[in-house]
Amino acid sequence: MSGALDLLTGLAMGLSLVALGTSRLPSLIRVAALQGVVLGTMPLVMEHDLRAMVVVVALATVVMKGVVIPVLLRRAMRTANIDRDMDPLIGFLPSLLLGAAGLIGAVLLARWLPLLPEHHESLLVAGSISTVFSGLLLLIGRSKAISQVCGYLILENGIYMFGLLLISSTPLLVEGGILLDLTVAVFVTGIIVDRIQRAFDSLDTRKLTVLRE
Amino acid sequence: MAVSLWGALRAPRWWLGALVGGCLAALGAGAWVLATCEAWEWRSGWLVGGGGVHLRLDGLSAFFMVLVAVIGGAGGAYSREYWTDRAHCVSAALGRWWWSALVCCLGLLLLCSNGLHFLIAWEGFAVCAYFLITLDPRRAEVRAAGWLYLGASHAGTLALFGFFSMLAARTGGWDLGPMRECGELAPLFWLALFGFGVKAGIFPLHIWLPSAHANAPSHVSAILSGVAIKMGVYGIVRFSGWLPLPVGAGWAVAALGAVSAVLGVVFALGQHDMKRLLAYHSVENIGIILMGVGFAMVAAEHGAPAWGALALAGGLLHVWNHGLFKALLFFGAGSVLHATGTREMSRLGGLWRAMPWTSALFALGAVAIAGLPPLNGFVSEWLVFLGMFDAVNQRGVALVAAIPAIVLLAMTGALALACFVKVCGVVFLGAPRSPEAVGAHECGPWMRGPMLVLAACCVAIGLAPVAFWPAMRGAVIAWRGAWANVPAPESLTALGFCHVALAALAAASAAWLWRRAHRVGWMPGVTWDCGYAAPTARMQYTAGSFAGIITEWFGWILRPEIDAAAADGVFPRHARREAHTPETVLEKVVEPVARMVMWVSGLIRGLQHGRVQAYLFYVMIGLAAGAIMAVAWNP
Repeated sequence: MSGALDLLTGLAMGLSLVALGTSRLPSLIRVAALQGVVLGTMPLVMEHDLRAMVVVVALATVVMKGVVIPVLLRRAMRTANIDRDMDPLIGFLPSLLLGAAGLIGAVLLARWLPLLPEHHESLLVAGSISTVFSGLLLLIGRSKAISQVCGYLILENGIYMFGLLLISSTPLLVEGGILLDLTVAVFVTGIIVDRIQRAFDSLDTRKLTVLRE
Repeated sequence: MAVSLWGALRAPRWWLGALVGGCLAALGAGAWVLATCEAWEWRSGWLVGGGGVHLRLDGLSAFFMVLVAVIGGAGGAYSREYWTDRAHCVSAALGRWWWSALVCCLGLLLLCSNGLHFLIAWEGFAVCAYFLITLDPRRAEVRAAGWLYLGASHAGTLALFGFFSMLAARTGGWDLGPMRECGELAPLFWLALFGFGVKAGIFPLHIWLPSAHANAPSHVSAILSGVAIKMGVYGIVRFSGWLPLPVGAGWAVAALGAVSAVLGVVFALGQHDMKRLLAYHSVENIGIILMGVGFAMVAAEHGAPAWGALALAGGLLHVWNHGLFKALLFFGAGSVLHATGTREMSRLGGLWRAMPWTSALFALGAVAIAGLPPLNGFVSEWLVFLGMFDAVNQRGVALVAAIPAIVLLAMTGALALACFVKVCGVVFLGAPRSPEAVGAHECGPWMRGPMLVLAACCVAIGLAPVAFWPAMRGAVIAWRGAWANVPAPESLTALGFCHVALAALAAASAAWLWRRAHRVGWMPGVTWDCGYAAPTARMQYTAGSFAGIITEWFGWILRPEIDAAAADGVFPRHARREAHTPETVLEKVVEPVARMVMWVSGLIRGLQHGRVQAYLFYVMIGLAAGAIMAVAWNP
């Protein structure tokens, strides 16, 4: 069982690295969606006795992260008529290297953290920290609004992974609430992306600096 | 006590009547409390800001109340002609309103015996004074002076907020009163000293004072200098009486007083603007007052009521005296400004012919402020001197400080005399230096009347000082109840007789001169023409050249800016010399510090540039720092 979970966690970590390395927006969205699906299947692998609630939430996660959000994002991308993040603030290769460094750091950090004994063996903590880090890196390093939304998605995925540690004690309803928030956020961002595109003729968030103060 | 003056915004006559009536009532109440030595106290269940209203008029607040009433009434009457509806159609009515509000706030400030209400009245008074200073907001320097005043005043108020809230936190209530037995309150005095010191204009904290006094309308300058800055003194005296004193507080106050006295008059000597010069004299006189108060605090610490009471009485009487003659001088300067439209002394001259009343009254005020014998300035300085002489006679610790203090006080008097010889000589004597000075006219009865009242008060205190001893005694008892049985010094009576004799002698010789002049007649002639065939008004001593020697002595602190092109060669073409004394503390200390703060703030402001990515980066750094701190402090 633990082996399957570690496999999925490793897959999610690898996907976040892929997200850091890609410049094409469709593949970024696809990577984020795939990571969401991987995460959605995790509770099914973890739980020894599958309660109906767990199944429902897992399904909802898969549907939301794997289908609804990517569809919304793709539509926003199409309206804005772009498919590449051309001039990132942190280059693709440096961000890939930073992400890898973060991954190693996360594994070391997870060993050093005072965790419960049953979590020591799991890769989940390291995976969650590295995914959060990758998400932040995307948020900081990319200039287009859509890439930033993907960064936000990946960040949330990291938090979700951390939440899985407590799956037996936290009601999944909380996670469901977060998921709903996320969907609304993406929905709103999709609208904003459209507005930014119309107002600035570009999706470069750096141009928003004229709005300060 | 509280007289409603607000309804009179549109009816100047009613306004003045109500104002003078209210001031007379306040004067009566103050005088009654001072005469009977019984504090008037009134508590009410009515809550304001969570505290019950608690008013108290004891000897000390009554002493200041009398000053508020006299200057408030006199200034109101003066403004009737000085700041007329015809000349200032909008600001005249506003000025009347704010004047009433200011006088009410000052009265409330003196009455309040609750820290919170004290702060409210203090803030109200600061705001009223700001609006009065900026009555003529079209001039840029008035706006700048107003801002500087407001900023400095709020820096002081901030300290007072700290002071009162800490006091309330430690005593468990906002109620004020004697609490000398709680020793842990002593350090709070330093906070109060700063907060009240800004308002009082103690030397390094006086930065707002010259520009505000110079640019405000003259009746406002009079109340600012005569009364408003005295509220700082009131605060220091009040809380040094109520709170336990930290070690060395008396020395610090006396030292600050000495520094303010000497440097105030030195800066005054360097000024060319008549009202700015008077403003620096306020710094000087606050210094004299604080020397008296500081020595009284030292005496309280060492248990020496005899000379402590004298020093305190001298300092407090100087509060009255300075209020009276400084208001008189500002009214005089206002008359000159009203008549000529300039405060620049180098553009005036020879005004005594056109303005005999103003000249005579200004000269009287000048004699009083310079501390010359027959008038009131001498009486209060004499009392301070007397306290210090007695301190020297006691041969205690105070001896070491008293002798230099005596020397400095005497030096201050001499320099003040030089300064007012300069003002009177340059402004009123000689020949007019500009067309404005030629076209001067005497002020009307509404401006002359208040000046006459103030001059009469100055003469009265000068000629009959003993009559005012009970008032000082009342205030001293309110400060330290144990000092009740200090008798009036015998020399005070003798001083009164000497003054009467001197005044009689002066009057007799003046009458003799007058008669002789009438019998023989005047013979006009050129004075000291130095061989010039055609002397012009430009050859007279200017304000700068008159005080040149003394300002050179004190060049190390005045830092005068001299712009000169010397005459050289056999046929010099062009020669020129301009000297200007800057606001040294403001320009050399406060402004560089402020610029540095602005520069650092500018650097920090660079962090806010509107880039979302960088903001997220800050969030990440913050998170990491938080995590590290949490781990490091909770192993």
